[in-house]
Amino acid sequence: MKSLQIAATGMAAQQLRVDVISNNIANMSTAAYRPRTAEFADLMYQQYLTPGTISSQVGTVVPAGVQLGTGVKPSSVSMEITQGSLRQTGSELDIAIDGTGFFEVQLPSGESAYTRDGKLNRSAEGQIVTKDGFELADGITIPEDARRISISSDGEVVAYFANEAQGQAIGTISLVRFVNEKGLEAMGDNMFLETEASGAPNRLVPATEGVGILRQGYLEDSGVDVVQEISELIEAQRGYELNSKVITAADEMLAATTRVR
Amino acid sequence: MSNAIYAALARQSGLMTEMQVVANNLANSSTTGYKSDRAIFAEFVAGTHNNLADLSMGTLAGHEFDLEQGGLRFTNGSFDLAIQGEGYFLIETPQGERLTRAGHFQLNAESELITDTGFRVLNAGGGAIQIPEEATNVSIAGDGTISFDGQIIDQVGVVQPDGQLSRAGDAMFAAEEGFQPVEEPRIVQGALEQSNVSPVLEIARMIEVQRAYEAGQALIEREDDRIAKFISTLRQL
Repeated sequence: MKSLQIAATGMAAQQLRVDVISNNIANMSTAAYRPRTAEFADLMYQQYLTPGTISSQVGTVVPAGVQLGTGVKPSSVSMEITQGSLRQTGSELDIAIDGTGFFEVQLPSGESAYTRDGKLNRSAEGQIVTKDGFELADGITIPEDARRISISSDGEVVAYFANEAQGQAIGTISLVRFVNEKGLEAMGDNMFLETEASGAPNRLVPATEGVGILRQGYLEDSGVDVVQEISELIEAQRGYELNSKVITAADEMLAATTRVR
Repeated sequence: MSNAIYAALARQSGLMTEMQVVANNLANSSTTGYKSDRAIFAEFVAGTHNNLADLSMGTLAGHEFDLEQGGLRFTNGSFDLAIQGEGYFLIETPQGERLTRAGHFQLNAESELITDTGFRVLNAGGGAIQIPEEATNVSIAGDGTISFDGQIIDQVGVVQPDGQLSRAGDAMFAAEEGFQPVEEPRIVQGALEQSNVSPVLEIARMIEVQRAYEAGQALIEREDDRIAKFISTLRQL
């Protein structure tokens, strides 16, 4: 009796949906978090009677045939490309990306990771680092005696000193964009890795070729819409219940069969 | 053996299959672009030995999909497309061209429009759709015209099958008899067509199937009793 297995695939799918939703809700306060959505697709069909099979000598064909479905599978859990709202923090090393693009971060292993979380800090050596202490790939070092720094919307970093009115340009923060952002691999800590599906990273100056602009003193909030997540959660829960009803019904049918003898 | 048991048996196995159809519909109640299934039964007449009365049995003859429009869910994704009214998106797969109503598309590393499963979405002319890399705010008009920055890039192909469709999994259909472009498609950008499975209808059908199955089982039981009684009466004679 396949109904049992089919309903089980349905329950597993709704369970996965709840997992994805709970992760979104858990990250409702994570800077620059992008909500994920689970998408489903039907499984292969069993061909009992193929449509178009000839049904008589004169060449009439079976119009619809009999194809029996075998359940559902998750087809993708993809990132929604949304811009989270920008929150003013006033901190000079909080930088939000307004538009598309990622900061490139140098991992200790030498690899590059990409993040939209602009909560940056100054390391003991004066380098601009992420909150995990990983250096920004642009390799900007802030002079020790700099009084303050300013970051323009196109990424230029200027340091100001106590005894000079004129600032000194110390580097540029570039942004990286991917052809398919949904293809990036999430590695946790708000960071992503390049994959075959995402395409090669393309380093660009902010505010050019469609990449976003930088906003100093702001952070990007999580893109999670809690109301939407809760309504999805209700839907997933009811979907789960519906599938469990099928299991109960299929079980009762089997019980009826075994009652005969 | 008694013919009554055979007739009931044919019904029972049909009901089992119908239950499978219901289970598959409910399992796909969250599948984008899924169309619900119906099993169709036909009468199958078997001649009995004495030709006095023919025995009629139910057999699974075919199935049809309910092609009713599913509700639209707004996602705001720029490559989430839904078709309102008739038509299907054209997908290139290794097995040939496939039709789908599930418009959850994205770009691949070559900046081509692809499905969740990585197959290319085709344009009105049957070619892959290439989106310029620098395009960030692509807009897709009601007739499928893709434009960016005031420039027309391409047009999403929407087709209508000539004959019957058969299912190919992954929310895709195969059109064995070919397809025609739809004259005036209506595409909604930023929305996905939800599964058109109606949970209320399916549960009602499920209960119907279950009770019919139990009734059939009761008939077999009673027939079994009758034969047993018949045999014991014979023995007493």
